[in-house]
Amino acid sequence: MSIVSFLSHAFNWPLFGSFSLLFAMALAAYTFVAGIVSLASSHPAAQRLGQSARRAGMATFFAITAAALTLVWAALTNDFSLAYIQQHTNRALPIPYKLAALWSGQEGSLLFWAWLLSAYGFVLRLRYKVDPKLVAYASVVLAGIQVFFVALVNFGGNPFGIMDRVAADGNGLNALLQYPEMVIHPPMLYLGYVGMSVPFSFALAALIMKYPGEKWISITRRWTIVAWLFLTCGIMLGAHWAYAVLGWGGYWGWDPVENASLLPWLSGTAFLHSVMMQEKRGMMKIWNVWLIFITFLLSILGTFLTRSGIVSSVHAFAQSSIGVWFVWMLSISLATCLFFFIKNRKHLDAENKLESLVSRESSFLFNNLVLLGASFAVLWGTLFPILSEWVQGHKITVGPVFFNKFNIPIGLFLVFLTGIGPLLAWRSTSWASVKRNFAFPAILSLVVGLLVFLTLSGVWSGHPSLAWVDRSKLYSVIAFALSALVIGTICSEFFRGGRVLQNKLGTNLFGGIYHLTRRNTRRYGGYIAHFGFVVAIIGIAGTAFNVDQEQEMGLGDKLQVGSYTLVSQKYTDDENAQYVSQAAILDVYQGGKFLETLYPERRAYKPGGQPDTIVAKRSSLKEDLYVVYEGKNQQTDRPIIKAYVNPLVNWLWLGILVLIFGTGVVLVPNAAQIASPVAVAVAAPAIDDKQMYPTPGATK
Amino acid sequence: MKRLLLTLTIYASLAFLLGAASDDRYTDLGNKIMCSCGCNQILIQCNHVGCTASEGMIRDLRAQVRQSSNDEGILDWFRANYGIAVVVAPQTHGFDLTIWIVPPIVAILAIGLVVWLIYVWSRRPAAMVAAGSAAVLDSQLTTFQDRARKETEL
Repeated sequence: MSIVSFLSHAFNWPLFGSFSLLFAMALAAYTFVAGIVSLASSHPAAQRLGQSARRAGMATFFAITAAALTLVWAALTNDFSLAYIQQHTNRALPIPYKLAALWSGQEGSLLFWAWLLSAYGFVLRLRYKVDPKLVAYASVVLAGIQVFFVALVNFGGNPFGIMDRVAADGNGLNALLQYPEMVIHPPMLYLGYVGMSVPFSFALAALIMKYPGEKWISITRRWTIVAWLFLTCGIMLGAHWAYAVLGWGGYWGWDPVENASLLPWLSGTAFLHSVMMQEKRGMMKIWNVWLIFITFLLSILGTFLTRSGIVSSVHAFAQSSIGVWFVWMLSISLATCLFFFIKNRKHLDAENKLESLVSRESSFLFNNLVLLGASFAVLWGTLFPILSEWVQGHKITVGPVFFNKFNIPIGLFLVFLTGIGPLLAWRSTSWASVKRNFAFPAILSLVVGLLVFLTLSGVWSGHPSLAWVDRSKLYSVIAFALSALVIGTICSEFFRGGRVLQNKLGTNLFGGIYHLTRRNTRRYGGYIAHFGFVVAIIGIAGTAFNVDQEQEMGLGDKLQVGSYTLVSQKYTDDENAQYVSQAAILDVYQGGKFLETLYPERRAYKPGGQPDTIVAKRSSLKEDLYVVYEGKNQQTDRPIIKAYVNPLVNWLWLGILVLIFGTGVVLVPNAAQIASPVAVAVAAPAIDDKQMYPTPGATK
Repeated sequence: MKRLLLTLTIYASLAFLLGAASDDRYTDLGNKIMCSCGCNQILIQCNHVGCTASEGMIRDLRAQVRQSSNDEGILDWFRANYGIAVVVAPQTHGFDLTIWIVPPIVAILAIGLVVWLIYVWSRRPAAMVAAGSAAVLDSQLTTFQDRARKETEL
């Protein structure tokens, strides 16, 4: 008997998993209650009680880990006595997808959520020495959230439910999820969603205890950036999965569940920007606290929308009846936030006020306004069908027409602000300074905008025409021009700073830029992230120039799409343990020259025959040739091929990767001041770098 | 400053041009209608093998585009024949109108509020400014600000 077989039979794993979950709930509840008592009491034993609460919180992680590992073990050993394993795996499923079974169904994903939350909580409590009292408060808030999720896993969707009769094989994993990116897309999104609980806990803790100063902001900054980074990765992977798997030629359809992931990302982005105003100038405290609250609430709302089925979505596989749990969670969270905000509102009074419309502060304020405007538009469009049902008695559908109408102009304005924001100084900027700094980016922007417009109008080919002009293409031209503005701004910032260090350190310009970035990773990492953002915008702007062509293709038939010609060579059928497939073999030509052979495929997964598309792509920075085998026309029995030419789409993925890299740079600590090998006369400090008020007598 | 204004003027002009732009009607309308097979995909993007709905709907759409020049009328025809939820662009009258007008109203109110707040705050007396800075000349202040911007983190 093998060890696996022995372990599988010698132990009642489902019972162990269920017990671990119950134990985890008891620990989380103890952390919450004992934490509150220890914070409220002045008894000498309160400190010891607080310590035990902290340790119980850490132990919760081990209890939930045991439950999660039990479920993974059950998936790996094909334990179909568990209903969850029977419904989401089968014997032939490859091991990576069996691991992914942990989050591919509702009960498992709730367990996964609770596990991630406990992991975050473990790290938070482990690092309690950073500020013991603040962490004690934050730990209690986090424990409250943990109690909810562990209770939900225990009583709302327990993954250790037993089947009455053990099936010989399972139903298998949803075909759409059998794709490598889907193994990491949900964990990334969950890490982002769940991660927002930590800054939320700190923000609420700071408000409850009237935490003096802004230290809590710097403590939570990394937590927020890390959670935001995971959310960004998750959204990107989801979009890329939709592009590669769903086979409709696009990557973002404004589906309610997609929107649900975008909402906390937008408000989290707003927070990451506006928090600088609190750190630097003690301003916007109320705004920042509410941005964190909103981000957390939107994360919960996102889960509610995904799980409740209250709005129609292509993510229907995630729907269930636990929505009411989330309504309660949202209500209690909001009520708690409101209560402590009203109670301790005076604590959030700003130390400074905005002084000029032309200042870094006002650009942040507009940036926040734009991001929250986008959030509102997305939320409004997502929830309007529910509102319509309440008011009119019928549910309407809100699609891309609505979301694009509002979010494209908002996005363009955001790109514009990204361009001008870094050029503005704190407090107030003189027009002379604006003029000096704005010249190069503005000229670059105009030149690029004009060049793109003239190129599209066919000026260089000698046949000028405005026939190409429509709303979406004009938006794209504006996007290209504004992207040039931002790139110009960023390059000039790196150039100016790099040149100063180049002279100081006696190195070349690139060395100067490297040292500049190492000295102030936060600022220059932020610029790199902005650069990635506009590269992504360029990729999105390319969408306006997509073309597609659909055709029935017999052997030897040709399909013309854009500058490509597809010639069908062969059609094949295949079958293995997982699926039955049909594929086309198509030769691709451009200008009469053979480029390569593509193999678009259509699969029907066993058991059940759930269809899946395997898109064939020829990718370059300029464009993607995206080919889909749509199956056979039932009347003519001829295969149908649909081909798209999607310009610049790889700029989107590249841009997001740069954005992620830039955010990673932001997380790197600044290098220590580098000794200058060249003697440089440096004036005495004349400016208090926090308040930026001149110190009397310290001028040159 | 002139360059800034020039840039803004050019972008505003381009934005104005958008109103005069025309879209291909079939694509435009096809993007406003959902396939009724339950796949939750836009009609002209639906790619299900053997989809029982999209082929007939696309045929109807082509026929309607040929017969009528009234796009809203065509969408109403689809609402009447395939159900209200089949059109993903809400109507521009009745209660559905609110979905279109609320975001701009909220945006205008929010922008107005922010501009008003900045205006009110910027007119506050110099008492808000820390002691010792009042005597600094504007030209010096600009120098200090430029230097502070270079030397501080953000």
